[in-house]
Amino acid sequence: MVKLGGMHIKKIMIVDDLPEVTYTVKYGLEKLNPDYCVTRVESGEKCLELLNKNELPDLILLDIMMPDMNGWELAKMLKKNIQWRKIPIVFLTATEDETSKITGKLIGDDFVEKPFDVPTLMEKIEQILVKKSK
Amino acid sequence: MKINFSISLKLTLLVVFISAIIIFSLTYINIKQQTEFFEDAYYEKASSLTKALDASIQNTIFLNDQQRLQGYIENFSLLNQDIIKLSVNLPEEDELVVFVSTDKNTINTTSGEFNDISYSKGANIYIPHHDENRHTLTMLSPVNLSGNIFGTYEMVLSMDIAYNALDKQMRNLILISAISLFIMIFSFLYMLRKSIVKPIIAFRNASKVIGEGNLNQIIEIKSRDEIGELADAFNNMTVDLKNSRNRIEKYNKTLEKLLSQKDEFIGQLGHDLKNPLTPFIGLLPIITEQEKDPNLKEHLKLLTNNAEYMRDLIFKTLELAKLRSSNIKFDIEKLDLKEEIDKVLTRQQSFFKENKIIVDNLVNDNIIVNADKLRLGELLNNLVSNAVKYTPKENGLVTIDAVNEKDLIIVSVKDNGIGMTKEQLSHVFDEFYRADKSMREGESTGLGLSIAKRIVEKHGGKIWVDSPGKGKGTTFYFSLKNEFGKNK
Repeated sequence: MVKLGGMHIKKIMIVDDLPEVTYTVKYGLEKLNPDYCVTRVESGEKCLELLNKNELPDLILLDIMMPDMNGWELAKMLKKNIQWRKIPIVFLTATEDETSKITGKLIGDDFVEKPFDVPTLMEKIEQILVKKSK
Repeated sequence: MKINFSISLKLTLLVVFISAIIIFSLTYINIKQQTEFFEDAYYEKASSLTKALDASIQNTIFLNDQQRLQGYIENFSLLNQDIIKLSVNLPEEDELVVFVSTDKNTINTTSGEFNDISYSKGANIYIPHHDENRHTLTMLSPVNLSGNIFGTYEMVLSMDIAYNALDKQMRNLILISAISLFIMIFSFLYMLRKSIVKPIIAFRNASKVIGEGNLNQIIEIKSRDEIGELADAFNNMTVDLKNSRNRIEKYNKTLEKLLSQKDEFIGQLGHDLKNPLTPFIGLLPIITEQEKDPNLKEHLKLLTNNAEYMRDLIFKTLELAKLRSSNIKFDIEKLDLKEEIDKVLTRQQSFFKENKIIVDNLVNDNIIVNADKLRLGELLNNLVSNAVKYTPKENGLVTIDAVNEKDLIIVSVKDNGIGMTKEQLSHVFDEFYRADKSMREGESTGLGLSIAKRIVEKHGGKIWVDSPGKGKGTTFYFSLKNEFGKNK
């Protein structure tokens, strides 16, 4: 976390091909807590590009169902990189089958089902960030 | 083998009875005819013997030469072995007196009165006599001397030879009848077994196999009789059944495919609806919270409620589709019913307070059910919130109770709310059905009870509802296996 004028800026990256979802997350989180800085990313490829530029977020919110590269594939690539593997991943999904829930918890740190309300999402993010910072 | 035994026994008894009647009556008629024939023959013999005697001794009678008469009679008797007794009775002062006889002891003959009749009428009289040891024929005939009757001859013939032969014949006949009766019974039983009992067993076995679902079973009976025709009809029926079952299976497969396509479609639709709903669910509460204008705030609240209702609808539709699919797995464990109910009630405490309704958990301690924890919670939650929704705010009371019946636990959720008519009771588990049409759509999805039904059925239990009528409250019941009951 970057200290800026005494405040903890929490850098969150939201990866989803649907702009309404990335917008909701950005607007909602930043509105509820000005400490949040949310980057909207529309695909897995774009996410890798940004990470390669060394813009590492504190947490990645990752949609599973995306064209070209889906959430699972991206998560696996992130976990293979020594630098990136420390970044916590929270999966966002509209499918609610048991296997994706279990895999979500195995590969990622948590799992949020769409449609979600922003306060709940923020609660989960806070919990994970607190746990990671210890 | 019970039916086999009884059919054979019944028919055999009938056949034995009829055959015995026929055979023994035929034997009886035969013997009766033989007897008559014998007696006729002896009559003939007796009368011809008398004629011969008459012709040879007339002269001696006429001369009243007793000594010669005696000699004649004795000689005559010796010539005919059948003659037991022969006597000539002549009248003496209005009485018949035996003058000459082969049997010296018999002076007064047993047939005295018949002697008189024969004498007075001048006719032959035959008296057959049968007892245990002897068969005799006594013949009385007049002594006729040139038209005048002088006395009577009494001749007793033994019929023993003939009757002994007849007895022997009768014994043979009965023996032959009995043997033929036995042969008849055995051949009848054999025929019965071959042509009726065996086919019946074949039919029974085939029906059993077919009943178990093997429609390839064919009965191989080639006989050209009613049984053969029955077998043909039976085989045709089996083939028809097989064809129609194949058709039904084909339809079934198509239906299953369509059903799974429908579920897939619902799943896809639900998934696709969730993404566009995210901004509403995610942002509307925040915007509503921050809005200062009370009018606008009211509008935003309406939008939020509707968005949440839509989310409920999507979740419940997907839940129903999931419960319908065959590959859903339940995590069955032993659960304390009272504890599980308390958990659900605690979660809904604020909802009950808001509705001013008292919810009582009357379930006894230590009632254990075999169920999936999450699904049981969902089931109880649906039933309790349904009861609360349809119970008025004044003196509203919902009670939950459970009874143990054999290997089942029957749970009841009772309210003193608006009650239901028979028509409503029959539809209450239908999807999207709302008993109270006036209830605003935003308050109920109409899917909660359908989900409850699916959950109970997937646990192998039953759910039902009872209401004494409008305004008299409603009770929902469901059954679950207790710790001793086996789930599938």
